[in-house]
Amino acid sequence: MAERPEDLNLPNAVITRIIKEALPDGVNISKEARSAISRAASVFVLYATSCANNFAMKGKRKTLNASDVLSAMEEMEFQRFITPLKEALEAYRREQKGKKEASEQKKKDKDKKDSEEQDKSREEEEEDEERLDEDDQNEEEEIDN
Amino acid sequence: MAAAAAAGSGTPREEEAPGGEAAASQAQAPTSAPGGVRLSRLPLARVKALVKADPDVTLAGQEAIFILARAAELFVETIAKDAYCCAQQGKRKTLQRRDLDNAIEAVDEFAFLEGLFQR
Repeated sequence: MAERPEDLNLPNAVITRIIKEALPDGVNISKEARSAISRAASVFVLYATSCANNFAMKGKRKTLNASDVLSAMEEMEFQRFITPLKEALEAYRREQKGKKEASEQKKKDKDKKDSEEQDKSREEEEEDEERLDEDDQNEEEEIDN
Repeated sequence: MAAAAAAGSGTPREEEAPGGEAAASQAQAPTSAPGGVRLSRLPLARVKALVKADPDVTLAGQEAIFILARAAELFVETIAKDAYCCAQQGKRKTLQRRDLDNAIEAVDEFAFLEGLFQR
């Protein structure tokens, strides 16, 4: 069952919330108007995608990237969106970076912890050996990495 | 944290509203940063589905999808406000379909929407 692209709607609850927050308190929106805006938003995305894709193809790229979309906004005469979009993009990149660093840090911590535990057990063995041998083997560098 | 939210929002009302969270009956993309700045309300999966509907599009990067989602939000805000101006002139407090039609005709940038709402 093929759906037409403009039938792919964005969730009504979210659309409604965005509309209500954009408007003053006490203003309502009819169901028809809301669904019309929802469809318009879908068409907007489709149109922007198509525009952005043109820029990507011009750049001989197969993957749409953020700057393609920003160029599309300009092409569509939505320049007023460009600044807020750039800000949002930076915040998004920071968040992504933060997430990546957090998971890398977790991994590092885990690795460090694992190797520390290994060192500890090695040390204990060494101490035992020291007692037996009475040798001066307190140099941890003995352990080869 | 609140400062970050305020600084990060060139757009209106980015801060978290507990009521808003509770009211979300639809699935939301988990795109809110720990700092509380909600980066995008629209679920990226749906936006991605729209992007993929274009037969000419091969691939789209995550950042591109995100910006499209955000742009769509800005678009909804913009068109709602423009339509409201028309309703206000009619001294109504409820936005009707015809207000949208008027906004589309009046605003050049919305030209691509003409003909969309033919009954």
